Amino acid sequence: MTAPEARNVPALLLGLREEGFSGTVRVSGHPGGTIHLRNGLVGAVETPGAPTVTSALLTSGRIGDEDWLAACAAEPDADRLGGHLVAAGLIGAAEREVVCAAAVFDGAFAMALSPPGSWELSDREPALLAEPGVEPRQLTEETSRRMALLARSGGAPSELTRVRPAAVASSGPRRPGGLARRHQDVLDHVNGRRTPRDIAFALGRGLYAVLLDLIRLEALNLVRWDVKAAPDSRPSTAPRAAGADSPAAAAAPKVVPLPKRRPGGGFPGHDGGLRGG
Amino acid sequence: MGETTTALQASLDRLLDSPGVTGVALVDAVTGLTYGVAGDTAEAGDGSEASELAALIAERLGAAGAEGELESVVTTSTKRQQVLFTVGRPAGDPLLLSAGLDRDRANVALALRSLGDRAGEVLA
Repeated sequence: MTAPEARNVPALLLGLREEGFSGTVRVSGHPGGTIHLRNGLVGAVETPGAPTVTSALLTSGRIGDEDWLAACAAEPDADRLGGHLVAAGLIGAAEREVVCAAAVFDGAFAMALSPPGSWELSDREPALLAEPGVEPRQLTEETSRRMALLARSGGAPSELTRVRPAAVASSGPRRPGGLARRHQDVLDHVNGRRTPRDIAFALGRGLYAVLLDLIRLEALNLVRWDVKAAPDSRPSTAPRAAGADSPAAAAAPKVVPLPKRRPGGGFPGHDGGLRGG
Repeated sequence: MGETTTALQASLDRLLDSPGVTGVALVDAVTGLTYGVAGDTAEAGDGSEASELAALIAERLGAAGAEGELESVVTTSTKRQQVLFTVGRPAGDPLLLSAGLDRDRANVALALRSLGDRAGEVLA
């Protein structure tokens, strides 16, 4: 197998396509991820950087939790779960293709936002798949297109994913008649702490789609962000914590040492009260 | 995507039965990703351009005070029409059905009506 000697992930996938590889490619990095291949076609991309098909279906409410659990119990093999969802009437066959394909492209985009580390191949692992899968070359071309479009629209894509947009206070009424529903949904989730990734997960939408909507909202002067506020160099995949230079940290009260108990009872600063009592 | 005929491909192929339709594509209205194409790819139009055009028009309509979501865009030349229909879906980002029509081969009004009625069936 020559594919593991490839110089990068796109070249690796092209090589695996030629071999008709069915299995799993684990890519380390931030965020890194797992690429599921069937006959060389990309069936699923799972990464902490973007919502999966499951997130998209459940968070959006397209499939209810109970129906989902029942479907998973009836069809434990994730590779065949998609077919079962269609057979059970929970989603149309064509819509399932759309949702799964969208997740593949979005996952690849999220993984491409930072340089990948090493990769390793392993056996097939069950996954909810786009069928018949996406051609690696098409995946690479679309990812490149997205990167280029973001670079033209709002700056370096990797920096855009780290911003924490805030609503513009002076924007007044949020133009309920003029904003598309999805724009309003994004606006409702912007709070100065959430990254685009956080918003994507909260809405069950693709990371790239949320980024585009945020750029549109910024152009309408409804949100703003400061690219320099991001402290690290990768998309947020860790539990939220206020950065050292965040507004929350700047507004924090001056640190005061905890009071110490003194022999004989009482606390410094409370002695007078104690004495008085 | 792949080479096997899928449910989506079959849905798009059926739309080619509408008189005058030369090409159709299902496009993500936000990302511009093309999910499937049937017929003449060039006639169906480029997905990213279609999504950008629809977004621009929707934004301008909103700025002018229009309420509600964009339903369709029809661009007409002497020989052809390019049509964008918003495809409704229960959840998820909106989709666009992009279609090219040959004005010499059909009654355009009827073809538009037919396509509009069938756009919602694409995701069935």
